[in-house]
Amino acid sequence: MKRADDLKIGERAVIKDVDNSHPSSHRILEIGFTPGQEIELLNCSAFNDPLAFAIRGTIIAIRKKEAHCIHV
Amino acid sequence: MYSRINNKDKKAPLITLVGPPNSGKTTLYNYLSGKKSKTVNYPGSTVNYSVSKILSKHEINADILDSPGIISLIPTSPDERVSVDTLYKHPKYGHPDIVIVTVDASQLSRHLYLVKQMMESNFNLIVVVTMIDILKRNGKDIDIIKLSAILGCCVVKFDGRNADGIKHLLEKTRDKIVAIQKEEIILPVAKFQIDRDKLLLSYKQIEEIEEEVIIDNNNRRNGQLDISSINDNLVVLNNRRAFVKPDARTLKLDKVFLHKYWGLAIFFIAMSVVFTAIFWIAQPFMDWINTGFENLSSFTGELLGENLFSDLVSGGLIPGLGSVLVFLPQILILFFILELLEDSGYLARGAMLVDKPLSKIGLNGRSFVPMLSGFACAIPATMAARTIANKKERFLTIFILPLMSCSARIPVYALLVAFLTPKDKPYLGGIFFTLIYLFSIVSSLIIAAIANKFRDRIVKEKEDSSFIIELPAYRKPKVWINTKHAYKNAIQYVKKAGPVILILSLVLWVLTTFPNFDPSIPDADKLSAEEVSSAKNSERLAGSYAAMMGRFIEPVMKPMGMDWRIGVSLVATFAAREVFVSSLALIFKVTDDDEDTHNSLLTAMKEAKFEDTGQKLFTASTIIGLVVFFVFAMQCLSTTAIARKETGGWKIPILQIVVFTALAYAFTVVVVNGLKAVGVS
Repeated sequence: MKRADDLKIGERAVIKDVDNSHPSSHRILEIGFTPGQEIELLNCSAFNDPLAFAIRGTIIAIRKKEAHCIHV
Repeated sequence: MYSRINNKDKKAPLITLVGPPNSGKTTLYNYLSGKKSKTVNYPGSTVNYSVSKILSKHEINADILDSPGIISLIPTSPDERVSVDTLYKHPKYGHPDIVIVTVDASQLSRHLYLVKQMMESNFNLIVVVTMIDILKRNGKDIDIIKLSAILGCCVVKFDGRNADGIKHLLEKTRDKIVAIQKEEIILPVAKFQIDRDKLLLSYKQIEEIEEEVIIDNNNRRNGQLDISSINDNLVVLNNRRAFVKPDARTLKLDKVFLHKYWGLAIFFIAMSVVFTAIFWIAQPFMDWINTGFENLSSFTGELLGENLFSDLVSGGLIPGLGSVLVFLPQILILFFILELLEDSGYLARGAMLVDKPLSKIGLNGRSFVPMLSGFACAIPATMAARTIANKKERFLTIFILPLMSCSARIPVYALLVAFLTPKDKPYLGGIFFTLIYLFSIVSSLIIAAIANKFRDRIVKEKEDSSFIIELPAYRKPKVWINTKHAYKNAIQYVKKAGPVILILSLVLWVLTTFPNFDPSIPDADKLSAEEVSSAKNSERLAGSYAAMMGRFIEPVMKPMGMDWRIGVSLVATFAAREVFVSSLALIFKVTDDDEDTHNSLLTAMKEAKFEDTGQKLFTASTIIGLVVFFVFAMQCLSTTAIARKETGGWKIPILQIVVFTALAYAFTVVVVNGLKAVGVS
């Protein structure tokens, strides 16, 4: 199954689910990464991690580990 | 004690401002708050928020309270926890009568989440919609009346750039205040628990609200319906929401600022500019303050004559005050730059860039801001660490902060570098300074990496490291407000650190003055008054408590190639580093008659010899040794106090004192003897 950290820069995808594998998964939901929402990977940091996503009209940076629990 | 600002008979209503980060909350606070805004601490922690009377011209008698931004009523980091606790019940101010929530119109679906939680908790709300200009820039608008009807609470617009809408907000606030005096007080209900289904339902409802109130003018370009964007909107029917592009200008700028290579290059250039600015812009101001206090000191000394009181004022009080104020320029500039970077939107991006390397050594991208502030002063820096949610990362960040080269070290380094720099090659001084900074950064990172290996033994906490940060839209910083904030923060630093440093310099004065206050000078009648005075000064010091202490610790100083006199100065620096220069000046009998103290101290240092062997005391190797000592040693009581408060125990501050002082001593012994072994004098 594809996850948000598998996206390429500029690629858009719709969130299918957010799993509970990361302790911050509730915070990830709270900040707006909810199922049904379309996201786009905008940038990744010089060290390939964290990743910056466009979501709900803003940009949120999260680590790869956190992006990994977002199913797209 | 239950009192509010200027509380006379009846307590004034309390209005609390809350809102997600970057929602324009602080801007609104600045428009509403009066001059007498003060920063207060939440008891038990040092998280501060501002409280003030509403500006008198607004004709509302109420207190207004600003607290750190939150995105939900379920906190994840200490600063969020305090904001939430403050909402439910602040021990001193009680619970708010009215809560003003700021909501970014371009972020409606995310920011309404907090509003919904607040409404479910029964808070008496006024929703303030900000950043409508950004919404309009993207061809959209918002129907405030509809939003108010759907939410069932009062909603007003506010433009942070020109305070448009503030009149309406004040009107609504006045109405609410009248209303609450008639109504029964409804207390906010129980706190929120993590509940995934409820969260998803909330978002579903919010999305429906957003569909209703956001007007998209893009569909009607040239009076005609735009088919492509209608198609875009049709996806809603398929149970997925239309993609909302972030601010276009921000996306463009991020192509550069977050570029894989350019982004990193820009980051390093920006940081170099910051440090250069702090150093070079502050220097002349620091010199003025120094000279000013020296002149004041000698002037009052002459005015009051030769007595104990005169010495207390001109030798203890005034230099002590000067040693506090001398850092003000640097701290002001650093705070100003930090404000500027934050306001423009770059700071979050800087944190993102360094998250990966910092996480390798057990820190977090969010450690970036505390570490940067650490170059001004470890006290505000330690407080800034509370935005780090993970306890291990927070404690490790606090642990290494004293290694950041704070501004208190600058006068010390300035003296030592001046000693090393040949008169004909002044540019070497700048290079030495850069090397010291680089050395301190590199060594602090190495120490963090080593400490990280042991952190499981020091802090017991589950592994829940995370880095989630909003990269706000780039905005032109509001320079005037940034200046005001920097000024406020700097004043707060003076108030916090000032008394400690002042008291310590008085203690130092006592230790260097007594018990031998009035030594008799043989053949005094043959000497001029000035010579007698300077002879008395040196005799007094040689017989003082400080000298006794210094001689006691001399065996410890010897391996570092130093004697008791440097020892006394170093002991004094454990109270506050900046005391080093003034105590050296005192000990080497420097009088500030003609030359300025700095140069006469340098001359005195160059002439100083070991009392037993007659060898030169200050050589290149001992000076470099001293630099190394100052890079590592934990010499700041205020930092110890604040580290204890922020970590809630003595473990971290005691570790700091023991580890850093041991390291400082060991490295200095190795460096001094190593240098001597390879032939450096």
